[in-house]
Formats: sequence, C-alpha cells, structure tokens
Amino acid sequence: MRWFTFFCILLGISLFQSTLMNWINIGSAAPDLYFPLVIFYSFLADIKRNTIANWFVGMSKDLFSEGSFGINSVFFIAMGFFVWSIRGILFRGHLVTQVLVTFIFSCIYNILYAAHATLSFHSLSLSATLWTIFTCSLYTAIIVPALFWIFSKLQPTQQFFSQ
Amino acid sequence: MRTATPSFSDLIKNPIAAIIILLAISLSFLFLPPKLSNRIKMTCVVPMRPLQWATCFCSNSASNFLDKVFSGWRNAHVKKQLEEQVSEFKNKIIEQQDTIYKLQSKLYTLSKFQAENKSKTKPIPADIIGYDSLTFRKSITVNAGSKHGVKANDIVVSNNALVGKVVLVSGGSSVVQLITDPASRIPGRVLQTREQVIIEGNATGFCQLKYVPRWAKLKKGDDIISSDIGGFYPPSLPIATVMETEIKGGDLFQSVKVLPKVNISKMEQVLVIIN
Repeated sequence: MRWFTFFCILLGISLFQSTLMNWINIGSAAPDLYFPLVIFYSFLADIKRNTIANWFVGMSKDLFSEGSFGINSVFFIAMGFFVWSIRGILFRGHLVTQVLVTFIFSCIYNILYAAHATLSFHSLSLSATLWTIFTCSLYTAIIVPALFWIFSKLQPTQQFFSQ
Repeated sequence: MRTATPSFSDLIKNPIAAIIILLAISLSFLFLPPKLSNRIKMTCVVPMRPLQWATCFCSNSASNFLDKVFSGWRNAHVKKQLEEQVSEFKNKIIEQQDTIYKLQSKLYTLSKFQAENKSKTKPIPADIIGYDSLTFRKSITVNAGSKHGVKANDIVVSNNALVGKVVLVSGGSSVVQLITDPASRIPGRVLQTREQVIIEGNATGFCQLKYVPRWAKLKKGDDIISSDIGGFYPPSLPIATVMETEIKGGDLFQSVKVLPKVNISKMEQVLVIIN
C-alpha cells in the first residue's frame, strides 16, 4: 500500500465531494465517494493499514462537513473493522460482492448517522430520511465499479489479493 | 521476572492498540468544546480553500461555457437570466405586499425601526466555493471571511431571499448553514395569514413548518417570510413557499412542507449581510 497514492486519492475525493457534486447528483440522491474508499481498503489492506486509512478518510470527511468533528472517523473505523472481519467469508474480488457490501454498509452507516442527527436536532422525518438513505446508498453502490477500477489502477491490488 | 513496559512504537505496531488510539483521538475531538473543534477544522481546511475555489471556478466556467454553447438552440442563457429576474421581481413584490400589510396595520414605528436597521447593514458579494460532504447536513463554503468583515451569525441571502446564516468563519472563507440543514430553525410568518411559524430544515431539498396550529388555513403557494421575533433575522425576507399541508389524526399541529425560494443547487453567488 502506497500512502502517497492514498493521500492523493483522498485529496481528489475531498475536492470532488465538496465542489462538484452538483454535476452528478440525481435529485436528492448524492453518492458518498468516501465510502467506497473505506470498503476498498477494508477489503484489501491488513487491519492496521485499513484502520489508519479509514481514520484519515473519516477525518477528511469531518473537515469538509458541518457536523461533529470526529464522528465520521469513528463510524469509518467501525465500518472498516466489520468489513475487514467478515472479508474472509466473502469473495471480495468479485464485483457483485463489492457492490453489495458497499450498499449494505453504506445503508448501515447512513442509518447510524441519521440516528445521530435525529438525536441532535429532532428534525429529520422518517420517510424522507429512509428514502434518502436508500437512494444515496444505491447511488454509492452503483458507482463502485468505476471507483474500484480507478483505485486499483492507482493502487495495484494484486499484492493485496495474494496476502 | 519483570517484563519491560512496551514503548509507543511497539503499541503502534499492535493493530488493536492502533485502533484504540485512533478511536480515542476521534472521541477526544468529539468531546472538545464546539468553538475549539471548529477552530481546528477551519485551520486544517484553510490550505484546501484555494484548491476548492479553483475547482469551483473551473466547474462554473465549464458550466457557463456549455450553457453558452447550447443557448444557440434553446436560448437557455437568456431564459435563465429572465427566470432569475422574474424570481427577483416576485420576491420584491412579496416584500412590497408585506410592507403594505404593515402600513395598513398602522405599524409606522416598526417600519421606521426596520429602515434604521437596514441602513446599518452592508452586503458583501461572495462566491460559493464548496458544499457539505455529508448527506444529512446542508452547508456551503463561501469565499468571504473575517478579512472582509464577516462574523458568525451574519445572514446570507440570494435574489432577496434567505439562504442561511454564517456558522464558521476563517480569514478568507466562511461556512454557511443553509435553511435546509437539520440544525436550522428560523422564526417566520405566513405572509397571507400572518400566522407565526418556525421553519426547520430536514436535510432534503424542502423544509418543514413547525407549530402550525390545526386551524391555520394554509394553502399551496402561500409565502413564508422571516419575522423579527428574536431579533436575529431581518423581517420580511422571503424564505419559502408552501407546497403541501397535512392534518394527521390527533396531532395538535399541521404538517406543512415548504419549498425554499432559492434553488440552492443552482446558486453560484450569495450576499453576506454584515451588521
């Protein structure tokens, strides 16, 4: 795992996520570009590198959002740990697995964040929130093949799969 | 036999210890006072602002170029300008209607106070250089900061309609909490019926009205304006339009869905009103 490449990818994602999302949003559905990165490293890196990478991804998301500072790094470390712990029973090289795992864990992450937001502000309506979670997670999962392809080009994955 | 205490480098090599250390750092950030954590955030993000500005500038330029290319076929550019003007005029009409209401009610003193207040404010144009990266938070970053006189809690408008308020300020940029953010609560008034309401964001493209009594007669198309209750927001600023009203079984209040006057996804510039 090359850390320089990782930070370049993270910088690119942060810039795109914080400036150009209006170009790819479909209605209220906005993909989370950080999340596929979490899944990518959880699938492919060892536990220590995976945790450190997810912490940086979470901190980066915290920096570019107006929420509690640190909440995303906690969620991403937890998500990364769970994906890492079950990856042994998954065929993680297959595209369908990558898409499904991203969708399921993105739903879980969004539900956790929505619960946190609801407890803090009491203003999210249940039906709209569930719909947003579903559409955003679906959109995030749909773009996984393209993102994983880009990530694997920048960060060769053969060495990871042979581990 | 005594064992040596593990050094910090040994701890870092242990994956579980690394997880615990990183979690502890994140949790300590979470429990920091908001002022301090916001300052850390703004300081860390400052080097990224020029990159954000450049990306936004390129994206807006590309968008404008494409608009111009297609305008030959559909006059899209002219239509957009006309739509903006119409929207601006509509908002001005709403403001005028509200002033008439107030004159009819002989609230001359209040109008005078409002005029005095307005003269104390100064608008600063700012470009939007970034958006919130979270699905459930709605904020924008603008390229006007404390160097330009912007302070926390300054009001942000676009096309004479309320956009939000400044929550974080650094030297050259500020973060604006939009009216659609779940943490946003704005005291307002229904222009036509004069009912007092609270406009609350819910992280979608719409907002909802809180504490609208069951007997309030709201209908689709009614305008919501800011009220001077609390003294935080300037009065008579258009905010949203009523889209749907629903009265559920035994609820004390109506459920009202409103559409913000400004299309936040299409905004490029805003005005920060500084006192």
